[in-house]
Amino acid sequence: MIGFFREVARNRVLFLMIAPALLFFALFSYIPMVGVYYAFTNYSFDGGLFGSPFVGFDNFKFLVSSGELVTLTRNTILYNIVFILLSNFLQLVCAIFLAELPGRWFKKTSQSVMFLPFFISFVLVGAFVLNLFSSQNGLVPSLMAQLGLPHYDFYMHTAPWKYIIVFFHVWKGLGYGTVIYLAAIMGFSEEYYEAAKIDGANIFQRVRSITIPMLVPTFILLILLSLGGILKGQFDLFYQIVGQNGSLFNSTDIIDTYVYRSLAVNFDIGMGTAAGLYQSLFGMLLVLCVNYIIRKTREDYALF
Amino acid sequence: MLHKRLKWTSAAVPLTLSAALLAACGGNSNNGGASASASASASTPAAGSPAASGASAGASAADTAAKPDTSKKVQLNWYVLGDAHADTPKVMDEWNKMLEKDLNATVKLNFTSWNDWQSKYNLLLASGEKIDMVFASSWANYYKYAKQGAFMDLTGLLPTYAPQTWKEVPQEDWDTATVGGKIYAVPNTNPEYTPNGLVYREDWREELNLPEIKDLDSLEAYMDGVKKNKKGVTPIGGKAWNEVYTLFTDYYDFKVYGGEGSVIASSSYDNPRDIVEYPFTPQFEEFVKRMKTWADKGFWASNTLSQQTEAGDLIKAGTGAIYWRNAPGAGGFITDVSKTNPDYKLAYFPFTRFHNYAIPTLPMANAMAIPKSSQNPERSLMVLDKLRNDPTYFRLMTYGIEGTHYSLEADGKTMDTPPAGMTVSKDWKPYDITSWGWRYQPNMLQTKGGWDGMDALNKEFAAESKPNIFDPITMDYEPVKSQVAAVNQVFKQYGQPLMMGLVPDPEKALETYRSKLKAAGVDKILDYVKEQANAYFDEKGIK
Repeated sequence: MIGFFREVARNRVLFLMIAPALLFFALFSYIPMVGVYYAFTNYSFDGGLFGSPFVGFDNFKFLVSSGELVTLTRNTILYNIVFILLSNFLQLVCAIFLAELPGRWFKKTSQSVMFLPFFISFVLVGAFVLNLFSSQNGLVPSLMAQLGLPHYDFYMHTAPWKYIIVFFHVWKGLGYGTVIYLAAIMGFSEEYYEAAKIDGANIFQRVRSITIPMLVPTFILLILLSLGGILKGQFDLFYQIVGQNGSLFNSTDIIDTYVYRSLAVNFDIGMGTAAGLYQSLFGMLLVLCVNYIIRKTREDYALF
Repeated sequence: MLHKRLKWTSAAVPLTLSAALLAACGGNSNNGGASASASASASTPAAGSPAASGASAGASAADTAAKPDTSKKVQLNWYVLGDAHADTPKVMDEWNKMLEKDLNATVKLNFTSWNDWQSKYNLLLASGEKIDMVFASSWANYYKYAKQGAFMDLTGLLPTYAPQTWKEVPQEDWDTATVGGKIYAVPNTNPEYTPNGLVYREDWREELNLPEIKDLDSLEAYMDGVKKNKKGVTPIGGKAWNEVYTLFTDYYDFKVYGGEGSVIASSSYDNPRDIVEYPFTPQFEEFVKRMKTWADKGFWASNTLSQQTEAGDLIKAGTGAIYWRNAPGAGGFITDVSKTNPDYKLAYFPFTRFHNYAIPTLPMANAMAIPKSSQNPERSLMVLDKLRNDPTYFRLMTYGIEGTHYSLEADGKTMDTPPAGMTVSKDWKPYDITSWGWRYQPNMLQTKGGWDGMDALNKEFAAESKPNIFDPITMDYEPVKSQVAAVNQVFKQYGQPLMMGLVPDPEKALETYRSKLKAAGVDKILDYVKEQANAYFDEKGIK
């Protein structure tokens, strides 16, 4: 304890610098966490947070009683793993391509074009999807009809939607991630490449032996950071593309959309918090696990 | 030394990082927590005030001469459902000018918009925002919220602060607003019939020489004819769910308990005590098989469940033929279309004709209530009293500004829309905010040039009227709420696509739906509803 105070006294300035951040998290993240208690109460407007009757784990029952919890958790995790790995991989590839391209004009333009979807709201993406795949006058079914292919109704089958959702997710985040990787690549010293060139390494060898190994820390960091939200799903994405269309839920339902649906009609603060708590705890567990594995294998890259 | 410092900073970094992660994880519950704790702290001062005002109400009732004190100027925060009209700020300015003079108060009228109104309404009440008056309704969970304590007890306040309303509203209407012996809302006073039905393009029916719509077969023939002969027309455009769902319940006369997401129903009006899970009935099987053929014929789009467009908008656009409306809604819609698309001819088929009886709407279907968070419940009630009973206030708020939104006929009871000199949709749109909560029939205006079928319909309904024995059953689903949430989920995921015929094999899908319902605990809800409903029927002497 005394050691701690001495430490504070000695590094006043450093501690002062971190104080706002600590205060911020205490105020906006830790204190509100008291609200988690709602998950265990039967909310009443009279009682409020602490006056409402305590009901233990009753609020969690609805998640289990439908028997959907396993499917939902599996869907959520699988979607996110695909999102994270595929997005990062493609972003990496695009960044390397862009970095190696000689033409300045082309590089800038393609970067901008790739970045553009990031600014498009998911509501619009939902409209795109509807106009692309609608069975009446959607672009894709019309094109298929023109080409003489058999009629295929996208909204009657669950299979294509996995790919459609993954596609739009990747499409939307591609430019953003590419810029992060590109920035990392730009930070590498030119000397490595020059030395490699003098040694006679061609472009592929240079990429394989210099760029990729040096990008690994960035790659791992980004993956770790995105894992924190793995159980959050991508509510906007799923909700805007699929909406309330029950016939597609089998392959597109994630925890977020499920919780939203069950509570939009039968709104209940207790059950809502319970679902949120489940999601958060599961997400934390996942981050801890992944971090543990990374620490065991490549200690330097672990978050904590 | 250096070593030690490193250790400390290295401890601090993960600490903040983990804080960040926890923050990311906890996002959902945090939001709920923050807003709700605000409501908890807000309810403390508010909880004191009704008791205090109740006491003062009692006191002032004792010496009747005392007029409520309005010396302090207040701004009241009101909320109604639906969307504002472009001219609402103008109308409210006018309105507030009068109100400020009479009651030293102004009202800020807020709207939830129709999009996603349920969640917004719920959040309004839960967040503890200071609201002085809000729309309330049996179909917006009034009874549930009243039981949970979301609304203020008005029993003691009404005689003092809304004396005229207290006198005018009949006792049986107050009874429908009473929960646990206390009145929590002021129901509207406008006896009406609001059965479901379909508005359709009569001109096309005549042109194509199709049979008159009077049952499921003629409806099918009509849609078939339209689909085949009118290129580019989808009989029920946009989201077709309301059309099909109400057709199902009304065609088989199922009386569903607990709103759309529930599957518990009395098997018919005449057998209220025969309470069943309707997806397990042969009628349901017959219906879903038929709907499969309808969906295959293209009566609605296969992505209808993903759509947000109202079928009515597509009628106006010329690419739709059918639209679900309740009877007064149909009247309004037909009047509206006669002005925007004068060359169309629309007709209406009320579902009451399947079984030849109509049920009057519960007064609590539209009402105004005061949330617990209100700081000026007394003044808010006084304003409501004024709004309901003073024709000037009532008409301005309900129908807009005379001369701009409507003009009054000589008889003072009929309004002309659009007013003389205005043309539809260019400089005039009907002033149609959600005024249902404060309706008071003697002050309401008839629309001139309104759909002439409305009167005939109302006569038809009145002649076959039967008492409303189902709506007053106010059930609290608290003991079975996790089953209700789970069933609601199954309904959305398996029930809706099945009922819309959007499944490859209805028999297999029905099988799945039934087994999922069982797993979700539908039987528990059935037992609970049976017990509650039978208790009510016993009490009211319904066989």
